[in-house]
Amino acid sequence: MTDSENTLRRAVREAHARAESIPAPDFDRVMAAATARAGAARKRQYLFAGTAAVAAAVAIAFGLRAPMDDNRGYIDEYELLETTGWTAPSDSLLPSREFDIYQTVPVLIESTETYGGALL
Amino acid sequence: MRDSDVLENNPHISRSALEAIHGQVFGWALSRTDYDRSTAEDLVQQAYMELLSGKARFDNRSSLKTFVFSVVQNLARGRYRRIASRLRLLKGAASVEIEEAVQPVEPESNSPVWTAVQALPQRQRDIVELVFCRDMTIEAASSVMGVSTGTGRVHYDRAKKALKAKLGSPGERFDD
Repeated sequence: MTDSENTLRRAVREAHARAESIPAPDFDRVMAAATARAGAARKRQYLFAGTAAVAAAVAIAFGLRAPMDDNRGYIDEYELLETTGWTAPSDSLLPSREFDIYQTVPVLIESTETYGGALL
Repeated sequence: MRDSDVLENNPHISRSALEAIHGQVFGWALSRTDYDRSTAEDLVQQAYMELLSGKARFDNRSSLKTFVFSVVQNLARGRYRRIASRLRLLKGAASVEIEEAVQPVEPESNSPVWTAVQALPQRQRDIVELVFCRDMTIEAASSVMGVSTGTGRVHYDRAKKALKAKLGSPGERFDD
């Protein structure tokens, strides 16, 4: 550590000591208060855990005691099928108006010229 | 370490060891709470509560002082975060002018050295306080601040340079 750093450190220490002139509270008093707070916090935790456990037990008990709903309804198979539908995603690529490019078979022009005994 | 002296939920901490650093812990809490005595005392109480309940468990990986300082630092940070978020909510809801209420209370010292320290950015101020005034190594101070040792060194170096620039050239006395 350099001299200037030592000097700086000493100066800061002195200034800090002057600034921080507030005496610390008694250790035993602070510890006693902290112990009391820790105890209270623990009690709160136990209370919370107990309440949660009771609530869970009540919920389970009510859940078990709740009557099963026997009024079950059935839906007809065809009725069900009518309510659903499916189209292929590629259906949109199909022509919206149905037509064939060739409604009738086109008549091709026949060649009359021959070559080597066969029609060209 | 006597068995009766050991904290119930923190077997590596004794009351006597804690008592030995109590003054320093309170000093650190003071600087975390803008030198408000009652808030600092409350913060120390809360830190001891964490130690007593075992929420903050010391496992000898650092010195006790470093550990307890870290607990205080984290609690103070959490508290300020909560206060800041409440203030933001208040501001948003009622657009109340509350800046004056959160102005930090500076310690009563007219020392130009202390004024220069207080003018440093938060991290630099913290590392200067921990290393210069609380006799910590840069490694321990960085650990308390929750930054890497490299980052701590950078803050330390910048703080020293800033203080030297403000208070005088090297070799010059930095007296009041």
